Amino acid sequence: MTGFFEANRDLLFFTGAAAVKVLVFLGGIMGFTALMTLAERKVSALMQDRIGPNRAAVFGFAFNGLFQPLADAIKMTLKEDFVPARAEKLLFALAPFFALVPVLALFAVIPFGDYVMVFGYRADLQIADLPLALFFVLALSGLAIYGVFLGGWASKNNFALLGAMRGAAQMVSYEVVLGLTLVGLMMIYGSASLQDMVRAQGKLLAGFIPAWGVVCQPFAFILFLVAAVAENKRTPFDLVEGESEIIGYFMEYSSMRFAAFMFAEFVEIVLIAMLTATLFFGGWQVPYLYEAGFLLPGGAQLPLNHYLVAVLQVGAFTVKTVFFCWFLLVVRWTLPRFRFDQLMGLCWKALLPLALLNILVTGAVLLALGKL
Amino acid sequence: MISVKKVNNSPLNLLERIYLWEIARGLAVTIRHFFVNLFRPGNIVTVPYPERVIPLPGNARLRTRHRLKVRADGSPKCVACFLCQTACPAYCIHIEAAEYPENNVEKYPAVFDIDLSRCVVCGMCVEACPEDAIAMDTGEIPGGALERKEMLMTKETLLRNLPGEPSLLGASNRLANEFLKARGEE
Repeated sequence: MTGFFEANRDLLFFTGAAAVKVLVFLGGIMGFTALMTLAERKVSALMQDRIGPNRAAVFGFAFNGLFQPLADAIKMTLKEDFVPARAEKLLFALAPFFALVPVLALFAVIPFGDYVMVFGYRADLQIADLPLALFFVLALSGLAIYGVFLGGWASKNNFALLGAMRGAAQMVSYEVVLGLTLVGLMMIYGSASLQDMVRAQGKLLAGFIPAWGVVCQPFAFILFLVAAVAENKRTPFDLVEGESEIIGYFMEYSSMRFAAFMFAEFVEIVLIAMLTATLFFGGWQVPYLYEAGFLLPGGAQLPLNHYLVAVLQVGAFTVKTVFFCWFLLVVRWTLPRFRFDQLMGLCWKALLPLALLNILVTGAVLLALGKL
Repeated sequence: MISVKKVNNSPLNLLERIYLWEIARGLAVTIRHFFVNLFRPGNIVTVPYPERVIPLPGNARLRTRHRLKVRADGSPKCVACFLCQTACPAYCIHIEAAEYPENNVEKYPAVFDIDLSRCVVCGMCVEACPEDAIAMDTGEIPGGALERKEMLMTKETLLRNLPGEPSLLGASNRLANEFLKARGEE
């Protein structure tokens, strides 16, 4: 038995580290997403001079609404699980999974730190370092359209089907822009692996500006953010759902099946926040922090322990993620909804040409700098 | 007096049509509200209701929690005529009538329940009452409750007078006054 452990130490360590990373990272994401459902209501309340939910209490302790997600979960579970009589039962049951699973799977390629040395082994702080991570992101976010369309179609409800049509049209359109905005980044960093991209963003431009994506590709950042919010199906692009009047593809869903769609939307906010931080704001990079410690442009140095550096990097990634989650919530509660023709016009007449132009300019600049 | 407000519908200029600058301005407003309310919660106008009650402006059109008026002898002014129960559109009033053994002129309610969880606070009962016995002038709003039985008002909780009452004047008190006078002479 000991011989087996001795012979396969590398493999066992890799498996164990992967299991721990999946459990901790995904568990953290799930917990954070549950808090996002509370944050959504608290942030909107504060923006509108209200208080927000603060009543859900456990043994009389409310903590200003901290238990609200728990109360929501209990309420959702206790609701009637309704399936329309003429629905396609199998597809109706599958659709929430199609909505939720691709979004959760995408977290595998997000690097939340550089690496840590544990017992002499190097553990990358990323679940899977795919060389084609960007294409993986695009492929799986394309798969999320199936959740929307199956949900609308399997309900056998005309209004749900119309909602699904709107959703599919919107998501397919903005998928194109989303993909094209990322091309510029791939050209600059010369890789489609997110970890490589983040490492490349640790370099300095002109000696003191961090080479973050937003510095190299400010235009792509705005386009990406717009397309990502549209992919997420939230205001100002929420006419897939339009919760106050037109409902949409999950019209016939109730109970935890509906909660799965809802939860997928909130997980997607976290995902977009993480992708924005990773692609455009340096991921886990702290400006001027290197493996050995801080090295300021002036030459001042501050050597740091390896573990302290890792903690700082993961902390920086968390702070960036939380900030963008907050920003997406603020955007959602500030802007009014587009009309559908405006939505399509914005995508095909404005964002798509601009994204193509961005690629052209990036290519021209790279050619002029002799880096192509 | 009709006033006319002219809406400025001039076409958008380039900066407005690009939309991003206007989005930034809108975000600045909401973010300012967010941080002001985060660090100075005193600005928030919402009140945690049952714990903190804002005094209501007293005026005649205000309809608040019911009460049954009480005469000087402690008997209810209500004569159990069932008019309020009949008028109630929400069927929230339940009355059981009884008679005074010493006074064969009028009845009194042995049971008078108002289910506030059904009450729509329309004030029909007050309008219907010929004795001016039921009133909605307590200034208390029927608030939330954790159990249904907390929303049920019985005769014991309904019977009360506001400060300055009861008055022995008025037609509705005539029978009671005669009754009191007769009892006083014995």
